[in-house]
Amino acid sequence: MKRERAIDAAGVSFTYEEGTKALKNVDFWADRGQFVAMLASNGSGKTTLIKVLVGLLKPQEGRVLVGGRELSAIGAKGLYQEVGLVFQNPDDQLFGATVEEDVAFGPRNLGLEEAEVSARVAESLSAVNALELRKRAVHHLSFGEKKRVALAGVLSMHPSTLILDEPTASLDPAGEALMLHLLNRLNREKGMTVILATHSVDMLPLFVDCIFVLNRGEVLRRGPAEEIFCDHELIRQAGLRLPYISHLLYEMKRYDGVPINGLPLTIGEARKRLLELIPEELIASRLETKGQ
Amino acid sequence: MNRRTILKAAVFPVPAIILSAGPVHAMHISEGILPLPWAALWFAVALPFVAWGLRDLRRFDREVPFAKPLIGLVGAAVFIISCMPVPVPTAGTCSHPCGTGLAAVFIGPALTVLVSSVALVLQALFLAHGGLSTLGADIVSMGVAGAFSGYGIYRLAGRIGVPWYAALFLAGLVSDWATYAVTSFQLASALAAPGSTGQMFGAVAIAFMPTQIPLGVFEGFLCVGAYRFVKARRPEVLMALGGGAV
Amino acid sequence: MFELFLDIFAYRDNFWTRMDPGAKLAMALSAIAVILLSSRAVLPLSVFCLCFACMLWIGVPVRLIAVRLTAPMGIVAVLALLKAFLPAPPGSSVLWSGTLYGWKLAATHEGLREGLLIGAKVLGAVGAMLFLSTVTPAHRIFHVLRRFRIPQGWIEVAMLMYRFTFVLVEHASEGSAAQRLRLGYSGIRRSVSSAGMLAGSVILRSFDQARSTHDAMVLRGYKGSFPFGEESAPRRQDLYGAAAVITVLLIFYSALEWRIFS
Repeated sequence: MKRERAIDAAGVSFTYEEGTKALKNVDFWADRGQFVAMLASNGSGKTTLIKVLVGLLKPQEGRVLVGGRELSAIGAKGLYQEVGLVFQNPDDQLFGATVEEDVAFGPRNLGLEEAEVSARVAESLSAVNALELRKRAVHHLSFGEKKRVALAGVLSMHPSTLILDEPTASLDPAGEALMLHLLNRLNREKGMTVILATHSVDMLPLFVDCIFVLNRGEVLRRGPAEEIFCDHELIRQAGLRLPYISHLLYEMKRYDGVPINGLPLTIGEARKRLLELIPEELIASRLETKGQ
Repeated sequence: MNRRTILKAAVFPVPAIILSAGPVHAMHISEGILPLPWAALWFAVALPFVAWGLRDLRRFDREVPFAKPLIGLVGAAVFIISCMPVPVPTAGTCSHPCGTGLAAVFIGPALTVLVSSVALVLQALFLAHGGLSTLGADIVSMGVAGAFSGYGIYRLAGRIGVPWYAALFLAGLVSDWATYAVTSFQLASALAAPGSTGQMFGAVAIAFMPTQIPLGVFEGFLCVGAYRFVKARRPEVLMALGGGAV
Repeated sequence: MFELFLDIFAYRDNFWTRMDPGAKLAMALSAIAVILLSSRAVLPLSVFCLCFACMLWIGVPVRLIAVRLTAPMGIVAVLALLKAFLPAPPGSSVLWSGTLYGWKLAATHEGLREGLLIGAKVLGAVGAMLFLSTVTPAHRIFHVLRRFRIPQGWIEVAMLMYRFTFVLVEHASEGSAAQRLRLGYSGIRRSVSSAGMLAGSVILRSFDQARSTHDAMVLRGYKGSFPFGEESAPRRQDLYGAAAVITVLLIFYSALEWRIFS
């Protein structure tokens, strides 16, 4: 059975007024409930594609379907309850003076009752572990907190699809892990479709169902993480790199002849593959010495 | 004789020293200085101009979808520019520009009055520069006098074929000095003993002269520099803001 | 370097921050009005002391209050001196007279006293205003202005300016630090040119920020005006409290003006 597509762009081309061809015949889609990543180097048209997907830019060619309907046929109100966009720079999107006021902006625009608005604020803030920030002033927040509040502001619109432009850029390692964990939770528990543009290849294989590799306005390849990262030429061409753990194992395999099975992308998998290579007696004797 | 010398020595450097502690404030009349009737009068003068600004905002909003964020942001930018420290050689320290001339060139005088009214409230509340009761007077001197004189001279200069940098320089200079003159007048008219307004005006004007004369010149150069920067990098922004008129 | 308004105190939780902002605004404005009307220094000075004490009570550092007061006090000093030396009405008693660079100068008791009265008024009124701002975030004051029928457009622009001043200040101070590190402020000519570029870059940044902010607003359902939500009604005790404070101020004022005690 074919799954329903949450967002579906076909043959999209976009040229800026000054003549820059930002997108050339791009096909991009995400099935409902999928976790999709857009891997792209800087200047590859990623932000333009995102703007096209949410209707901020109108492509000269191609069509964009959201929830099976043509973008232009859905009114703004319907569209923004369908797709939400989290900007790269949280300051672009936080315009309320306090966290509460900012998160309430969307629900109030939907014309909801104050009680419902307040409930949505609480719900969205707790979805990003930021309920305690509710009364704080936006300009007193740290960068990571701003990122999470910006996400909450979008969640309060109850979109079924979430698009994030570099959600982990400039975050510290703990902040990056937290952000991806939150997104994964939204995806698994609430069934939200998550699309993110990112460079953080190390964490990605843990979550994603599908990766699009974008370069110079074109989609170079689409596929699951295992497939994408096996193609070294593709990765190099797109200005990306392998996850560090895969890189290490790849070099061990290639230059040291270590017979590793496949190319693990995550730490957990790498551990399993390495353990396969170590004789069982060795492990047993190590455990014994440790036990004594 | 001895006593007199001491007094002379004590009295005359004092204004300069005190002013150098915070000369920007010369351009804002502090809370508490104006008697209530004068404060009310200046509010009455300022109100129509703020209303004009609001009408322009509504019109701009119909033409350009992002008008409100744009005016809010440009307002914030001008507010920050007006907080930029400026070295004033004659006073020996830093002072601050007004920014209204520059703002008027970019977004027009009426909208400049609107954003300076907000900036003045923020400054009054958080920096104690200016005040709530003196808000009307400060809007008139900073916003109305500064923006309209700067904009007027800018357009006039453009019309008679003066090069853009000279027009910008004049906009900055004139707006700064107009603010200074109106503030001096406001202080003098409210505080002078009956019949001595003229004398008081002269005295106030002279007291603030050491910082204001060079500051005006600086502000002129600042306008030129800022405009040049925008013109060279992103001329389309000038068009979008409506400041590409000259 | 950029003296930014310090508003962390306004977001603390204490007796004063919990109070309805409308009540606080009414109290501050009536205190200022009474101070302006007052013809004696006692009232402004006592208002100042009260506000000063309250600010110390909620933990505002004395240094910060002093910094905020220097600017207005600077102007007051100049004005007081001018008042003292300018011709006073005939019959004033001369404190000191002489000539300076050919100018005839005379300081009178009356002039000096008036100058000092202005000083007291400024101190009291600025004190009331500072106290209001240390216990009330700016955006709540703007919200309350809706009650006083201030047009929505003004409030929207005010809210955006308040929020984005903090964003742009970061940009400006980073820019100026970068210029300074590359000797952009050595010498007057270079300073002027650096300052111009900095101002230009702040304007460009504000333009770009406005566009992306507008995009973000549209994506969250913005249709041309800000939804402010419902105004929460002021608590009854706040209204009574404000009324009581204002009454006390008025009684104090009338007692002083008509010299009931003396």
